[in-house]
Amino acid sequence: MKVTLIDSPVANIASIARALRAAGAELLITADPDEIASSRKLVLPGVGSFAAAMHWLTEWRIDAAMRAALLGDAFLLGICVGHQLLFDRSSEMGWRAGLQLVPGDVRSLEGTLPVPQIGWNRVHGTGPLFDGVPSATPFYFVNSYAAREVTAESATADYNGPFTAAVQRGRTFGVQFHPEKSSAAGLRVLRNFVACR
Amino acid sequence: MQVIPSLDLLHGRVVRLTHGDFASARTYGEPDEVLAALQVPPGSRLHVVDLEGSRSGRPVETEIVRRLARRDLVVQVGGGIRSVDDARRWLDCGVERLVVGTVAANDPELLATLVSTFGAERIVPAVDVRDGTVRVDGWERDADASLQEVFARIELLGIPEALVTDIGSDGVLRGPSFALYRHLRSATRVSLIASGGVSSSADLVSLARLGNVSACVIGRALLERRVDLAEAGARLAVSQAIPERVIPCLDVRDGRVVKGVSFQGIRDAGDPVECAVRYEEEGADELVLLDISATDRATTTTLETVRRVADSIFIPLTVGGGVRSREDFRSLLRAGADRVAINTAALRRPELIRECAQEFGVQAVVLSCDARGGFATVRGGKEVTGVDAVQWCLRAEELGAGEILLTSVDRDGTGLGFDIELLRAVTGVVKIGVIASGGAGRREHFRDAIECGGARAVLAASLFHDRLLSVGEVKQFLAAEGIPVR
Repeated sequence: MKVTLIDSPVANIASIARALRAAGAELLITADPDEIASSRKLVLPGVGSFAAAMHWLTEWRIDAAMRAALLGDAFLLGICVGHQLLFDRSSEMGWRAGLQLVPGDVRSLEGTLPVPQIGWNRVHGTGPLFDGVPSATPFYFVNSYAAREVTAESATADYNGPFTAAVQRGRTFGVQFHPEKSSAAGLRVLRNFVACR
Repeated sequence: MQVIPSLDLLHGRVVRLTHGDFASARTYGEPDEVLAALQVPPGSRLHVVDLEGSRSGRPVETEIVRRLARRDLVVQVGGGIRSVDDARRWLDCGVERLVVGTVAANDPELLATLVSTFGAERIVPAVDVRDGTVRVDGWERDADASLQEVFARIELLGIPEALVTDIGSDGVLRGPSFALYRHLRSATRVSLIASGGVSSSADLVSLARLGNVSACVIGRALLERRVDLAEAGARLAVSQAIPERVIPCLDVRDGRVVKGVSFQGIRDAGDPVECAVRYEEEGADELVLLDISATDRATTTTLETVRRVADSIFIPLTVGGGVRSREDFRSLLRAGADRVAINTAALRRPELIRECAQEFGVQAVVLSCDARGGFATVRGGKEVTGVDAVQWCLRAEELGAGEILLTSVDRDGTGLGFDIELLRAVTGVVKIGVIASGGAGRREHFRDAIECGGARAVLAASLFHDRLLSVGEVKQFLAAEGIPVR
């Protein structure tokens, strides 16, 4: 199954590329808007801060290319910051607009427990991404921000209160955790995405 | 598990005695002030000890207790309850539960009368234990009955909860008596209110995981601000959701996994990629790769090894050894490390921690602290500095380290168990996670490092290399002991 991994100048995408391949993806790694626009399946990796990532997406016209692909019924998976970019806006470094593909806000995860959250946390998921993944399976997280209680939520976890661990709106998916660092469970989620049709 | 703040009252004030000596009483102020300062949430249970009452054998602080009970608190009171009349006086003050000590152990008839008069759920027998023996009369002498007999009696009367204090650990901050509570888990169905030895919220999490501890009374740790009620609540809320990690360590030199005792006497133990893949299959939650040659002479083979290992696993990889600068840090991240551990260079120039945290993110920075005799060491444990290990860990947290890899050089390779005292000293003061390292020899050691040491992860090298234990076996054991694992 062909998957386009959106290349990023900031992020180390080697591990997500390797994990997607291990999950059965025939991978095209590119930042070319035309190639992205004509893709059937897209992966948007996490890239540094929310603001830097949005800047990069618009600057390189990847934003518009992704929308074009989605209009053509493409599937999209956002990972970590890539997942956060799907929402309306984020409070990281002042409110910044996101891609607005999924309704909801991304806010600081701050609370009594230290941020960033670093490590495994149990995820309670439903829907096609979590097919074959039992509820309460741990996934690996590294995040200081997260969406909470959004309508498109397909998985939750708890850190300073419940937060959105994954979303699904139509063919657009997002996971706050790092599937590429989550061993067999992470590969299963990626395999489920790669197999989506 | 409920957390019950405890107030010892003397002459209308909250005090703390050292070794039960009234002359040594340290005063903390009026009960209302103390409750406000501790931010005790409404609806909480509150444990009150009437010290003068326990000395004189009759209720003394009744007016204060009456006032406390009028607030939105579920008050239990203890100290000198020796008769049905004493009990009634307290209940008339609005107290919900009565804590009876000597009576529970030495006067079964009165205990039965109290239960039949006021109801089993209103009586909390207090059982003081030292070395497995029940003690009475202000811990002065052995009780007439054995621990087994006392609990059989409590169970027979239908009393749901008993307060258990291990006198050996009380007040000395050496940790709660997990072994005693675990023993009682198989010996009785009575739920336990743990008391004594709690000095951090990690202790509360560990008590909650035992399963038979329904509540914990804390006094000193709260008054000394070692435990914050809000933080404890947050930790308890995720105590099952966040699994503790088991981390195999690959000590690598010149591209090969090697092993040694106390960083000396090295021998070959295999190919890093083969080891890494096997460990992930066995259920390792993360890998640590330590380049043990690099501090002496920097090697480019390290980067190649990191690249090969990172390319073969789907779990986080932490790499350490010989990181001198931000450039070294960046190279390791580029080679595929998720996190980088720094030791020698950070001790020489602590600002390096802050710079790396700013540039690469807090999550990428692990402080590696090799402690020997309580001091931080550099160059793979060879050189002791004058820096106190605990203070250094605290400083590193302030500077932006995301986690601490705490190795006891004294224990490393000995198989004698992790250095619990060192772990408690660090986990009791830092908020970030601590990885326990050095000394693992048996499955129980891993449990103790997490349960009593407060570690959020446990690391071992030779034990796993030599296949004396597998990662899977350790995780299975931890799960059976009530510690959540992936």
